[in-house]
Amino acid sequence: MEALFAFLGDYTIQNVLIGAALLGLSSGALGAFAVLRQQSLLGDALSHATLPGVALGFMAAGTRHLGSIMLGALLTGAAAALLVVLLTQRSRLKTDAALGIALSTFFALGVVLLTRIQQSGNASQGGLDSFLFGQAAAILRSDLWVMAALALAALGLLTVLWKEFKLATFDPTFARSLGLPVMLLETALTVMIALAIVIGLQMVGVVLMAAMVVAPAAAARQWSTRLEGMVLLSAAIGATGGVAGAVLSATGRNLATGPLIVLTITAIVLFSLLAAPERGLLWAAVQRRRAGAMLHDRRVLATLLRLSDEHADRAYGAEQGMLKVLHGLGTVASLHGLERRGQVRRVEHMPEEGIHWALTESGREAAEQTLAELEAGES
Amino acid sequence: MADTSPMNAAGHEPRLAVHVEDLTVSYHDKPVLWDIDLDVPPGVLAGIIGPNGAGKSTLIKTILGLVRPAAGHVYIHGRPYAEQRRRVGYVPQRSSVDWDFPTTALDVVTMGLYGRLGWIRRPRRAHLELARAALASVAMEGFADRQISQLSGGQQQRVFLARALVQEADVYFLDEPLAGVDAVTERAIIDILRELRARGKTVIAVHHDLQTVRSYFDWLLVLNVRTIAQGPVSEVYSATNLRAAYGGQVALLEGDELPTFATEPQ
Amino acid sequence: MIQAVLTNIPFSIMATGALVGIAATLVGTFLVLRRSSMLADAISHSIVFGIAIVWLLTGLASGPVQIFGAALTGVLTVVLIEMLTATRRVKNDAAIGLVFPALFSAGVLLLNVYARDVHIDAHTVLLGEIGFVWLDTVSLGGIEVPRALVSMASLTLVNLAFVSILYKELKLATFDEGLARSLGFYPGVLFYALLTLTSSTAVAAFDAVGAILFVAFVIVPPSAAYLLTDRLWRMILYGCAISLISSVGGYYLAVMWNVSIGGMMALATGAFLLLALTFGPRYGLIAQELRRRGESSRNDRRALVVHLHNHETAPERDEESTPEALREHLRWNAVRAQRVLRGALARELVTLDADNIRLTPGGRALAREVLEPWRRPVAAAATTTRRR
Repeated sequence: MEALFAFLGDYTIQNVLIGAALLGLSSGALGAFAVLRQQSLLGDALSHATLPGVALGFMAAGTRHLGSIMLGALLTGAAAALLVVLLTQRSRLKTDAALGIALSTFFALGVVLLTRIQQSGNASQGGLDSFLFGQAAAILRSDLWVMAALALAALGLLTVLWKEFKLATFDPTFARSLGLPVMLLETALTVMIALAIVIGLQMVGVVLMAAMVVAPAAAARQWSTRLEGMVLLSAAIGATGGVAGAVLSATGRNLATGPLIVLTITAIVLFSLLAAPERGLLWAAVQRRRAGAMLHDRRVLATLLRLSDEHADRAYGAEQGMLKVLHGLGTVASLHGLERRGQVRRVEHMPEEGIHWALTESGREAAEQTLAELEAGES
Repeated sequence: MADTSPMNAAGHEPRLAVHVEDLTVSYHDKPVLWDIDLDVPPGVLAGIIGPNGAGKSTLIKTILGLVRPAAGHVYIHGRPYAEQRRRVGYVPQRSSVDWDFPTTALDVVTMGLYGRLGWIRRPRRAHLELARAALASVAMEGFADRQISQLSGGQQQRVFLARALVQEADVYFLDEPLAGVDAVTERAIIDILRELRARGKTVIAVHHDLQTVRSYFDWLLVLNVRTIAQGPVSEVYSATNLRAAYGGQVALLEGDELPTFATEPQ
Repeated sequence: MIQAVLTNIPFSIMATGALVGIAATLVGTFLVLRRSSMLADAISHSIVFGIAIVWLLTGLASGPVQIFGAALTGVLTVVLIEMLTATRRVKNDAAIGLVFPALFSAGVLLLNVYARDVHIDAHTVLLGEIGFVWLDTVSLGGIEVPRALVSMASLTLVNLAFVSILYKELKLATFDEGLARSLGFYPGVLFYALLTLTSSTAVAAFDAVGAILFVAFVIVPPSAAYLLTDRLWRMILYGCAISLISSVGGYYLAVMWNVSIGGMMALATGAFLLLALTFGPRYGLIAQELRRRGESSRNDRRALVVHLHNHETAPERDEESTPEALREHLRWNAVRAQRVLRGALARELVTLDADNIRLTPGGRALAREVLEPWRRPVAAAATTTRRR
């Protein structure tokens, strides 16, 4: 316990935790909109495209000043988004190519500018590398204020215009018929996503910030059927993953923060895809199995009914071996299940003839109902 | 329309629910609508028919200000659309949204109130009650909290209709409201549209099934890039007009008989 | 003589860059046309994981086994993306955005932990070291050749062979997957073969240009070429030419400004894209704007004759056919109405006497053509409406 307090009391650790929470909250909440508008990869392009802005912000300030670096990042990110719009609307190139072009050429520009800074021999350029993969430990208290201000601005706008953003995302045509300026709202959302990316640059780095936009939202979507729930959960997952990854990075062997955060959240995504109620894949598999078993049971019952009708004997006992031939694997399990539910019973024949099964009254009713449904379905 | 002077104090053609004059729309080099004139009197259930690519959806979208025309103008109850937004309800094509969006049927219907709510204000309990009532009027009250992807196509269409109903408009525009819905839903939707007409509302729907035109609508616009004909169904729904709109794409029987089936062209 | 050329530092750098570009363009052309450009982005990030794994297992950092082994992660990426999309729990774009960052992160961490002192560090991953390719040479028939040059040349040949032998099949599978399948060309197999080659090229190019700059070579030259031509083989050719010139030009600019060579080469491809976007003969912005203006005034003239035609037999004819009426009914301002009217008069579509605009027979014919396109013979439609 004392170790925990000592850990939490550590100045750097505090910075890291607050920073990771801010990053996760903003990218989680805004990422939900990127994912729902099917713009996950725009986040990827934007985050790569912030690199030249990082370099330009550094060059303008002459030092590693987070405010100017973030401003530069926001500007080149926005320029890349504009390039994507220009290419998709005014040329024959499709969205995928436009994204790839913006991503790779802006990143190339960033690389060129970074090497330019390195050649100039500026003593404080060392901190710039951390913007590639993120370095939690490099965060300062003053950086947190900038991050918090940006997160507050983006999340505040999202809260105030919640219903407008929701409608513009779900049904932009209808929104326009109500007179909402949908273009403006969409631009605002893109800028806010860019803001979320910029907030996380120092923790996660330009290369992996894309994942912070997509992954928390993809995980949250599995658990929630309402936008409100999805956005809150996405923010929570983003913050949790951010904090967990940052702690691992800050306490471990100085591993890069970005990859640790991304892997943590990817684990949450995998868990959600498998285990979330209703949408989870395991859930679906169980449902499918159950439905399959039920169908099997009903087919066994129908066979028993047919045999009993053919022999004009309501208590006719069918041999288990023959039922197995007819219905294959799982027949015995089906029979035992049906026996538990009182729909079939074992009947005694000669001891050496093996087990025989007959319908009970409730089994007969169920079988007749099944056949009736089958006939109704066929006609 | 011969007696109109373009502008008068009460606005433009105030007696008409929808008045469209000389509307031309083109996408790049593709002309979509040429010089459309349209006058829909209030209180009718109007159908817009025409072959694929005739510009039916574009006409509705242009009237609603979603597409900018190259020439011409539109009036709703005598005033430009921008001034009459509250008096107009709209049902877009069902395929225009992603039904996997995380939201419930009730929430979608509530969106119809956003125009009345204005910026920033949130829907309150009273609004939710209005939305619930609208859902009930399309017989969907039991599905209020259902995620919309779990609804069938017909149910989704009813939710869209409920969203337009909650707008409490005077003129309703519906883009293919009967596309891909089951027979029961089709029946239900038509009943609701008739009820709207009975309450004096004007309903304009894009329609594609020629066989049901005469039984569903009382007013008709036959469109194929230009206005082929418009007016009461009994006058407009004729072999001549359909042949003019559909060309050889519609099978017509001899005499006054009307089409037995229509093949949609590519 | 050959030795002197091959160990010439600028030559080896430029040649490596050009081969990266050409090999990438050969496969990238089909990815761009198939609208799968972002798979190149995903693959080039994910192979970092493959490179780390192969290095940990075998200690190999180059050679055919390393290339193919690491390339498998690229293919795995696409398989995972398709599996994830098939669950219908996430959309395709989100699936891409989930898979590659995870693999990339795993790769970076592995290198971080186990390979701190190997030459593949964080910087190389992102930037490559094309400036140093001449340091690492292999002996080939007694001649010392830069290793990167050998691997890139081999992959360029493999890609070239693949594309030229299966040209027709690739074209069909890209253009019409359904038809290709029904004709028995296995478009799925072709697609995965293409992805395997893309991955292999990414691995081979990794040392030279890093994971992300490679994306520029795959996507940008084919995209620029796509804005310049409508023919597939020309698109490939132009893309290769753009790659070649970008490598040479990028090298000299990088040396001049003393900046990253790989970055400058990638940036040069971007410059070509901007040029093609602006000045492209048919799809460039300037050509589009000129065409749009022509079309818009032609459409205005057509709107005018159709309007006159529609009101020609109605009682309100005189009222609708004054220049004043154009302003009120068509909502054209005076300048536009004047311009359209002048254009229509010059083409003898209308006559103007005493404020009354009347259709000429030619104008009437044009209005009919516009209103009843299905009545018009197809050949005539193409020629007559264009001109007016």
